Amino acid sequence: MENAKDTFYIMLRDRLTALNPERTISVRGVVRPGVLVEENELVTDAVVPDAFTLRWTALAVDPRGPLPLTTLTCEIRYATDGNAGNAGMDRGRLLAAMDVELSSALRAAPHHVVKMNYAGSSVGVAPVAMATNIFWSDVTFAPTVTTDEQLSRVATVEVFCYQEAGEQ
Amino acid sequence: MTTTVVAATPPVTRRVRAYFAPVNRAAATPSIFDAAQTGAFSLDAPPAPWVDLGWCTGFTRKSGTKVAVVQLGSPAITQSQMRTEVEATVSLQFESWGKLQLALAAGSQQMNLLQTATGAAANGSGGIAATAAPLTPDGTSTATRLSVGAAAATAFSAGDLVAVDVDYSGQTGFVGSGVSAAYVRSSSAVGGDANYVRRVSLNVGRVVAVNEGSIQLAAPLPAGVPTTAMKVSALAGFVDREGGSFFQEWSALFVMQGEQGDRVIFHYPRLQAMQGSAEVVETLVAPLEQMRLAGAFRALPVKDANDGEMVLCFRSYLPGAMRAV
Repeated sequence: MENAKDTFYIMLRDRLTALNPERTISVRGVVRPGVLVEENELVTDAVVPDAFTLRWTALAVDPRGPLPLTTLTCEIRYATDGNAGNAGMDRGRLLAAMDVELSSALRAAPHHVVKMNYAGSSVGVAPVAMATNIFWSDVTFAPTVTTDEQLSRVATVEVFCYQEAGEQ
Repeated sequence: MTTTVVAATPPVTRRVRAYFAPVNRAAATPSIFDAAQTGAFSLDAPPAPWVDLGWCTGFTRKSGTKVAVVQLGSPAITQSQMRTEVEATVSLQFESWGKLQLALAAGSQQMNLLQTATGAAANGSGGIAATAAPLTPDGTSTATRLSVGAAAATAFSAGDLVAVDVDYSGQTGFVGSGVSAAYVRSSSAVGGDANYVRRVSLNVGRVVAVNEGSIQLAAPLPAGVPTTAMKVSALAGFVDREGGSFFQEWSALFVMQGEQGDRVIFHYPRLQAMQGSAEVVETLVAPLEQMRLAGAFRALPVKDANDGEMVLCFRSYLPGAMRAV
């Protein structure tokens, strides 16, 4: 199911980048699209503002079919302090912009992509396309949380994949 | 190099996309969809003559086919089976409102509320209509642009709805360009109304611009390039009636796109409405409610040219790539 997690992340990253290429973050000195997977980064309690952070939570496996159907819950956390130039008074506007970007990326058709195996990929080595697709549910948005000057939200989406023969 | 075949999983679908095509009522000829040739069409670009009706929910199809047995002997033992009745129905709710969706869900004629003549007496399905604008006879009109001349064009403006069809001139039988929209029993039944065909026609469009004596439409007319015998009437909206005697008939496709690249297609060559106009109301947050057009249809049979069998519905399954079959 790591393949499904990787594939979903890449899909979401690419779609969000296409919608707003200016949403970037600097991670250890490298400027990247403003999407990261929490478990793939150094452990920290800090919330990265103006970026989307994916956290994988629940897991369920339905073994009844010819291929086990796996359901992964992905929490997408994002927050904003607003723009300092506006004294943070645009924080609601910026959070709404992130809401729209995420909703648009996950709502756009198709709602599936070919599952890719990124384990052996590197610069010049392409990931391997697998035989099944991952697909996902509609996204649900939790209420806005206000912490001091910061607004944040958690969106949740269920990601589905079939466990292919031999897949780790 | 070999490619691995993976096990076929149950289709996982999100929504149903509906398409319709006209039935030639006079010739009793439905539109036939050949899934072998065009089953993999892009959902946003259906092959002609199929017209997109958009997404729908609550798609439910029921088989009313009954199977009886022949029993012989004492005690009776079932020896064989037979079909005593073949029937199929479909019900659904349209996620969008439009002329075509209204027409399918109307149960009977789906009429246009033609702009009325000054002083017209009130009437439930619209009073006496204003004079229609004829198309210029130079043949410059297209499916999206109607040439009516500079003087007549001043009567129209962007945002108007228009019906484009021929005058009623005493014809009986099915009327309506492109789609049979109603059945006229006699001229007297429709009062010899010259606007009657435009009153029931599905050949309607939205005006987006008026310039140089022509009317630009937002989308091509369902009946294609209009003939010079057609005229243009402005309309306010649409109306259907509970209790009309006419049965709409359509060829219909319902497509379920699977998330694994598979596809299920239900093709009903002949569907007739089996209930009057109805809506399903869904509460958003009280008191806000969302209304969906609800349709229920009964399938009628066609003959399959491959073996002469009379059938109601073709269910096609197009497996995803490299799935075991």
